[in-house]
Amino acid sequence: MKKDLIASALLLAVAAAYYVATVRIPVSTLADEVGPHGLPKVLAIALAVVAVGLGVRALIAKRPVTVPETAANDDDPEATPLRALGLLGIGALYMPAAWILGYVPALILLILGIALYEGMRPSWRVVGIAIGGATLFWLLFVVLLGVPQPAGLLF
Amino acid sequence: MEDFLLAVSLLFTTPLIAVAIAGLVWGILGGALPGISPSISMALLLPFTYTLDPMSAIVLLATAYIGAEYGGSIPAILIRTPGTNAAAATVIDGYEMRRQGKGGEALGISLWSGFIGSMFGLAMLVLLTEPLSQLALAFRPTSYFALGVLGLSVIASLSGKSLLKGAAAAILGLMVATIGTDPISGVGRFTFGSPDLLEGVAPIFVMVGLFAVSELMTHSGIAAHAIDQKETIRVRLPSLAMMNRLKRSQIIGSIIGTFEGLMPGAGGSIASFLSYNEAKRWSKHPEEFGKGSPEGVAAPEASNNTVASTALIPLLSFGIPGSNSAAVLLGGLLIHGLLPGPRLFEENTEVILGLYMGSFVAIVAMLVAGILILPLCVWLVNRPRPYLSGFIFALVLSGVYTVHVTLFDVGIVLVAGLFGYAMRFFGFPFLPAVLGVVLGELVESNYRRSLVLSGGDNAIFLEDPIAVGFLIVAVLFVVLALVGEWRSAARLRKGVKA
Repeated sequence: MKKDLIASALLLAVAAAYYVATVRIPVSTLADEVGPHGLPKVLAIALAVVAVGLGVRALIAKRPVTVPETAANDDDPEATPLRALGLLGIGALYMPAAWILGYVPALILLILGIALYEGMRPSWRVVGIAIGGATLFWLLFVVLLGVPQPAGLLF
Repeated sequence: MEDFLLAVSLLFTTPLIAVAIAGLVWGILGGALPGISPSISMALLLPFTYTLDPMSAIVLLATAYIGAEYGGSIPAILIRTPGTNAAAATVIDGYEMRRQGKGGEALGISLWSGFIGSMFGLAMLVLLTEPLSQLALAFRPTSYFALGVLGLSVIASLSGKSLLKGAAAAILGLMVATIGTDPISGVGRFTFGSPDLLEGVAPIFVMVGLFAVSELMTHSGIAAHAIDQKETIRVRLPSLAMMNRLKRSQIIGSIIGTFEGLMPGAGGSIASFLSYNEAKRWSKHPEEFGKGSPEGVAAPEASNNTVASTALIPLLSFGIPGSNSAAVLLGGLLIHGLLPGPRLFEENTEVILGLYMGSFVAIVAMLVAGILILPLCVWLVNRPRPYLSGFIFALVLSGVYTVHVTLFDVGIVLVAGLFGYAMRFFGFPFLPAVLGVVLGELVESNYRRSLVLSGGDNAIFLEDPIAVGFLIVAVLFVVLALVGEWRSAARLRKGVKA
C-alpha cells in the first residue's frame, strides 16, 4: 500500500505539472469550441482525480486486497530500482558517446559497459565480444540495410 | 479467385517468403528467450520496418508474432520457464513430459498443435476480417470518436488488479498523445520549443521503451535459467495415432483461441488456461492432466497460436488492438501510413493479401524451422545474460535511431523506458498506456470534428446509431470490469476473514 501512496503522489505531481503546461498552450484564432487546451485540461483533472482515488484507497485499506499473483510471477525476481536506473544510465551515456565518438566506438562502450555492469568479469574476451558485436551491428545497419548511424565529431 | 491469384503471385514477385521466414525465425528465437515476450520481439523489429515496403513490414511483424507463440513453449517444456505468458499453461504437462524423458515428444506436440492452431486462426482471419471491416464504411466522425472510446474502454478489462491504475495508465498515454501539433488549430502543444516534438511522440518509441527497455531494467543483474546441454533434445513430431488423440484438445484450443482473440484484452494467456481446463474436462484421460498429458500440451499451444492470428481481426477491421502484440502491429501499420478499416482492404489489397500469404508461409515453415532451430534456441538461451542485455540494448538504440536519424528519439525511448520501469514497479499495466497513445489522436480529433459539424451540440453523438452502439458496449465493458473487480475483492476479503 505504501507503493500506492507514493504512486498517488507522483501522479498528482504529473497532473499538476501537465495542467501548468496546458495553461501555457497559445490560443489560436483557428481554434474550435473545445480548443487545443480542452482535452489536456480534462486529462490533467482526470489524472488528479484518479491519483486521489488511488491514495484514498491505499489509506483506508486495512489489509492489502489484491488478486494473488500467478506462480510464474512469484518466481520472477526483479532488480532493485537503483540497479535498474544504473543500466538506464549506461544507455543514456550512449547518446553523448555517439555524438562525440561516433556509432561503432559508442556501441563498443555500450556493450562493454552493460556486460561489466551485469556481472561479467573484466577480460580481453569481454572487450573482444563488445568489438565484435559493434562491428556486427555496423555491418547490419550501415552496410547491409544502408541506414545511417551517428557519425560523431571525432571519428 | 482474382485475389487468390494475386496472393500467389506475391510469392514469386516479392521477397515475401524470405521476409516471412525471417520474421518467423526471429519470433521463435525471441519467444524462446524467457522475458522476451512476443510484443518485445516485435517491438525490437519495428525500427527495421522503416526500411521495408509496407507489405514486407507487416508480414515481418505478423510472422514474428506467430513464431514467438511457438518459441515460448521451448523453455516452458525444457526448463519450466515459459518464454511467453501464453506458454505458462504449457509448463504444467510439458515440463512433466520432459521429466519423464519425453521432452522431444512434448516439443513435437507443441509444434504440431501450434501449426493446427495457427492454420485455424489464419482461416478465421481471412474469413472474418473483411466482412467486419465493411461496417466501418458507414462510419462518421461521431462513430470514429465512439470507436476510440470503445477501444479505450478495453482498458477496463486490461487493468488486471486495479481499474484505477489502468485508468491512470490510459490517461498518461493520452497525455503523451497530446504532445505535438494540435490536429485542428495547428497550435504546438507541450513541445517546449523543440522542433523534434512538433510531430508528436511516435507510438513506436513508447512501445520500444515500455516493453523492451523496461524489461532490460527490471531484470538487470538477475541470473538467467539455463538448459542442460549435455542431453541432446530433438523435436519428435507426433505419430498418426497420437495426432488422432490430440484432435479433440486441438479443436477446443482453436475455438477458444478464436473467441479470445476477438475479445479485446483477453489474449493468449487466458485462452491457454481456459483451453487447458476445457481439454481436461472433455478428455478421455483427465487423470493424466498434470502428470505429463500430451493433450495438456496440445490444447494451450493450439489456443495461443490461434490467438496470434485472430487477435488481428479487430485490429485490421477497426484499428482496435486488443493485446500488446496487436498494438505493436498497429504501430507498424501507422509507420507506413496504413489505417485499419475497409479502406485498407480496398487501397492496400497487396498488403492484406501479403499478410495472409506471408502468415501461411510462416505457419508451414514453422514445422521445419521449429525442428531445425531448436539447437540455436538452446544455445541462445544459454548465453550469459550480460551479453544478451548488451546486445539487445545496442539493437534497441541502433534501431530507434534509424526512424528519424536523430539521437533525440533515443532519448525519448530511454525516457519511455524509465516510465515503463516505474509503471512495473508500482504495478501499473502497460497496454492501457499504449492504447492511450495510439487512440488519443483518433478520439480527440473526431470528437472535435463532430462538434464543429454540430455547432457545438453534443447530441450529435446520439443521432448516430453506430456511435450509440459503440458507446453502450464501452459502458458495458467498464461496468463488467467494475463488477469483476468488486467481486474478486469481496472474495479475497471473505478468504482473509475465514
